[in-house]
Amino acid sequence: MSTDPYSTRTRELFAHPAHAGLLERGPVVYADAQDVRLQLSAEAAGGVLEAMRFQAWGCPHVIAAAEAACAELEGRPVADLLEFAVSGLMANLAVPVEKTGRILVLEEAVRSLGRRFRDEA
Amino acid sequence: MNDKTIYLDYAASTPVDPRVWERMREVAERTCANPSSVHAAGRLTHEIIAQAAAQLGTLLNADPATLIWTSGATESDNLAIAGGARHRAHRGRHIVTMKTEHKAVTDVFERLGKEGFDVTWVEPGNHGVLDPAAFETALRDDTQLASIMLVNNETGVVQDIKALGGICRERDILFHVDAAQAAGKVHIDLAALPVDLMSVTAHKLYGPKGIGALYIADRPGCHVEPLLFGGGQQRRIRPGTLPMELIAGFGMTAAIAAARIDDDLAHIRDMRRILWDGIRGVDGILLNGDPGGFPGILNVSADGVEGESLLLALEPLLVATGSACNSKSQAPSYVLRALGRTDMQAQSAIRFSVGRPTTAAEVEFAAQHYVKAVARLRGLAPEVAA
Repeated sequence: MSTDPYSTRTRELFAHPAHAGLLERGPVVYADAQDVRLQLSAEAAGGVLEAMRFQAWGCPHVIAAAEAACAELEGRPVADLLEFAVSGLMANLAVPVEKTGRILVLEEAVRSLGRRFRDEA
Repeated sequence: MNDKTIYLDYAASTPVDPRVWERMREVAERTCANPSSVHAAGRLTHEIIAQAAAQLGTLLNADPATLIWTSGATESDNLAIAGGARHRAHRGRHIVTMKTEHKAVTDVFERLGKEGFDVTWVEPGNHGVLDPAAFETALRDDTQLASIMLVNNETGVVQDIKALGGICRERDILFHVDAAQAAGKVHIDLAALPVDLMSVTAHKLYGPKGIGALYIADRPGCHVEPLLFGGGQQRRIRPGTLPMELIAGFGMTAAIAAARIDDDLAHIRDMRRILWDGIRGVDGILLNGDPGGFPGILNVSADGVEGESLLLALEPLLVATGSACNSKSQAPSYVLRALGRTDMQAQSAIRFSVGRPTTAAEVEFAAQHYVKAVARLRGLAPEVAA
């Protein structure tokens, strides 16, 4: 049994976060809770998410999860943001259960981004 | 460790010197006898242990008869503090220590507090150094024991145990020093120091894990109650069959350290200087501890960086962080909080500790890697957190 607290996938995403950054257009949300500071931005056209970026201050699981969420959501309907759940992502990254609270900050931030799109529509 | 990693965690533990392994193997092949046995093989084991005590005694300038073998510094600290306080409980129940001590000390004081002892926690002064005047203010007529470490394990801060011990000696207070990080790395002269009890361990000094010692000064009133019972070994202060191989290894460890302590100090000073010169230019970097402290430890914090991510970003460097840094807890270091660092500053702290095998190329790489890792994580963070 591995004693490495990070899965291979978590290590990859942490080391190479392709979606790090801040988009110039579109809504931006910011969350600060549970030892996580997270900023999400997204651009959409025709009801589809064209680009999504994150900035994060947090543990490696938070950074990896934010990267995974951005990659997963790009190309999907904006409405999916409102339904976003982290359970599958936590399993894929093998996030320890005690870090659930931190990853839920990401879930709430994504949904908040969805509400911003909805409210601005 | 493997070929790709760079070990800079010598304050946590050290590789065993090959000469120590050789000594352990040699004595194990010579005899398996119990040192308490009176036959020839038992007497040989006894002599091997006596030789190790002489070697450790030489390193500390202490009479070998004043040394009690233990399983390590944690046990030595427990035996000194709990044993000393309980031995003197009929005279008073006030005991004193510092907030920045190792857990092997603070947890014993907390335990004694639950047993009815009155504990005073002294605050460190500037850069973590304890002001002897502040220490003296904390002492009372019923104070019976004080414990102050020589070299802090997180920051390398060195306390003035000569001055602090002198204050205790004037008041007949038992003075214990946790020297786990110091023994064999800085000069210690127990014949000249007003120290009653001193904890040391082998594995911080290129010796094996599982063996330590407690020095108990040979002076009236200086005694500890045992924590273990079950035999007459070691004057009943710490009974149990002595682990000859580990003790012989500790003896060799001490002999090697005594022969090269000045060279070791010069080397780690050089390594620390290269490392600090390489990272001191990072914006917002903070040196945690006293610039004049033990050179084997360099503890730094960087604003706007999360500690656990920094630790991972620093791989292949093997260093320590300023937080508990496991998936269950991210509590910032209580030692750094006591030095006035904020939670975020303490949480971003990294402890580099260099040792005998450290090379200039390693610390140069470490410095460059640290600078890059901090820049990368700051680039990832929202501006509001930086």
